[in-house]
Amino acid sequence: MSNPTSWRVRLQILGACVAVTVVLLPLFLMDNDWPVAGRDYLEARGREDTGAINLVSAIYLGYRAFDTLGETIVLLVAVSGTIGIAARAGGAGLAMGYGASDNSARRSGAGAVRDQKMGDGEIFALPDEKRKTHALRTHLLEVVTGKLGPVVLVFGLYVMLYGHLSPGGGFQGGVVIASGIVFLALGSRADSRTGLNKASTLACIEAAAFLLLILVPLSGMFFVGPNGTRGFFANPIAELDVLPAGFIILLNAVIGLKVGAGIGFMCVAMLGKEEKA
Amino acid sequence: MTVILLLLILILAVYMLCSRDLLHGIIALSAISLLSALLFYLLHAPDVAITEAAVGAGVSTVVFVWAIRLTERKDCDV
Repeated sequence: MSNPTSWRVRLQILGACVAVTVVLLPLFLMDNDWPVAGRDYLEARGREDTGAINLVSAIYLGYRAFDTLGETIVLLVAVSGTIGIAARAGGAGLAMGYGASDNSARRSGAGAVRDQKMGDGEIFALPDEKRKTHALRTHLLEVVTGKLGPVVLVFGLYVMLYGHLSPGGGFQGGVVIASGIVFLALGSRADSRTGLNKASTLACIEAAAFLLLILVPLSGMFFVGPNGTRGFFANPIAELDVLPAGFIILLNAVIGLKVGAGIGFMCVAMLGKEEKA
Repeated sequence: MTVILLLLILILAVYMLCSRDLLHGIIALSAISLLSALLFYLLHAPDVAITEAAVGAGVSTVVFVWAIRLTERKDCDV
């Protein structure tokens, strides 16, 4: 057992055990009760304060909406960084938009009929001449993902718009929408193309949603909310009896569109790189 | 039920760390995400379950598979 590899493995296992012990031991040794003040306050006041039945939405868009703005900015920076690194690593193709470079590459290749009218929409279906070498990319994948994509998109919209009533919200719905966009991109055939795969469309949606996310909270500075509060992210329509959770619905929709377009753009751009490699 | 799910997650995690085929590791990671989503749902946290299923099993798998496509599928000793 003088093999240095085995010693390294043992050291790693020991380190992992020590780390788990350091994290978990205080929890077992602790004899304090769990803090309940915040929980009880939320249970008593959360619904009438924000109008949201789902208390998770009530917290992150009703009480802590400014933190949510910060998380959204973190996601924006992460997506931008990923696209930037991928574009730098893979040449200028991604930076120009993955559709453009792929089109030129494919037009110069063995000519297929569909290349003639291709805009900047992208088709990820495997060309017929490559079917023999890629045994795992069967037609099954394209058929299933193509049929499932719209259903997933609708489910994502539901999760996004009903986040104040049922489990879910802007982030969750947005990620589900991104999965739907990936499904549609994987299942897109030559004769059925969707504008949701275009880099320009997704980028426009994300930018517009982020602009709205900045502009909508600003409205709270001009309308006086309940208890005379006013300011950034103050709820201007809290006193309306019609739809007290309307502000949360609006923010959920904006955040969901932004997250869905951003993550969908990242994944579709990566799929485009994968096809070229 | 919770204990069974946790044991399955543990087994899959060990398999994921030990597998030399990185694609198998990614599939195991995706399965871990699905099982944790089920676990969160059983523990009455459906919001977290939706997030875990969508991010862990969906988006991160795409990202990892893309990384494998651009590098190498088999692990090798340094």
